[in-house]
Amino acid sequence: MLTKLKHMQSALNGTRHLLRLGRLFSETVQLRIDGEEYYLVFEKGALVDIAQGPSRKTPYRFALVTDAEALERFWQPRPDPGFHDVFGLVKIGRGRIEGDILVLVKNLRFFKAFMMLGRQEKGVR
Amino acid sequence: MSIEPIVGRYLTVAVEGEAQRVYFEEAGQGRPVLCLHTAGADTRQWRHLMNDAEITARHRLIAFDMPWHGKSLPPEGFHTREYRLTTGVYMETVLAVSEALGLEHPILAGCSMGGRIALQLAAMHADRFSGFIAIEASDFQPAWYDIDWFDRPDAHGGEMGAALVSANISPYAPETERWNTLWMFMASGPGVFRGDLSFYTEDDSLVGRLDRIDTGRTPVHVIAGAYDLTCTPEDARRTADAIDGATLAIMDELGHFPMSEHPDGFRPFFIDALDRMTRTSGVD
Repeated sequence: MLTKLKHMQSALNGTRHLLRLGRLFSETVQLRIDGEEYYLVFEKGALVDIAQGPSRKTPYRFALVTDAEALERFWQPRPDPGFHDVFGLVKIGRGRIEGDILVLVKNLRFFKAFMMLGRQEKGVR
Repeated sequence: MSIEPIVGRYLTVAVEGEAQRVYFEEAGQGRPVLCLHTAGADTRQWRHLMNDAEITARHRLIAFDMPWHGKSLPPEGFHTREYRLTTGVYMETVLAVSEALGLEHPILAGCSMGGRIALQLAAMHADRFSGFIAIEASDFQPAWYDIDWFDRPDAHGGEMGAALVSANISPYAPETERWNTLWMFMASGPGVFRGDLSFYTEDDSLVGRLDRIDTGRTPVHVIAGAYDLTCTPEDARRTADAIDGATLAIMDELGHFPMSEHPDGFRPFFIDALDRMTRTSGVD
């Protein structure tokens, strides 16, 4: 998963229009996948650090809680219904948002675009 | 260079005694089909079908922007009002526009909230129409989001609304049409999407009216996309099952905005729906 996230980090940091889209987004986001924690540190839209948990002292603004199989299906080029969207995972009960959901919604286009970068790395875990 | 056959004009109708300047556009000749856009959007969602020569050879497609939407201005004094669409106002607006255009028993085709009001009109004013195509339409679903997210002075409601509804677009949708669809949400007026959603997610009055629909007089065809998280195929199926004689089609590769997000994928379903709108008894 860490390799996958680093590929997504590289893709994000090399994509000018996404950096512009996220220029006001400087937050830490927790991804919790099958209980494993990853802290994604965004600075002005760039993903500057990925720290693996567990951690009880890392503050984060919001978390996406899901499982690896759901994410694998999410990252297919044409996912099945429900697995095609971050909020889709929530709607079908395979994901949950914790924390400050309003901050996520204000930056939803950016965060969704980041999560979909995984679809460019087909087969990479 | 090309010029499309779609022609747009304006009309003014009274709704609840108040003048509303409404933009409408049309294309084609033949049996009239009045088309209703989704929440937070406008007539541009119908442009692909209105540019389809095979469809417009036998049908006159007319779409209009609801007041507050697209090129229809909000009513006078809008800056002091909170926009909240209601079932009553919505039905009155559709009936007023149909009458102002002199439409004789048009087919009513609506998507999302347009599909919801099409079913309301099938229950309450079926004598004014000759059939109903209810796309991404259901009896009722409460919101799975907070509608107040989309009307805030500290954030761009259109950007947030577009980001939310992107969840309802199929991954099979062509990229260009995905973004053209989202653009309408990005460009909608402040509070408009929220005001539409208050109707769509809070008014459950249709549930108790479905048994009034007489498909023996006016056919009802419900269509739903598998990638629609808002009106799921299960929602559409439950609704169609509650209407005696209604038919249902599920589109495996489409989402909540089929005529806009994936015109080629939707086209055969719409043609099939038009073919099902056979006039039966009781219509002049």
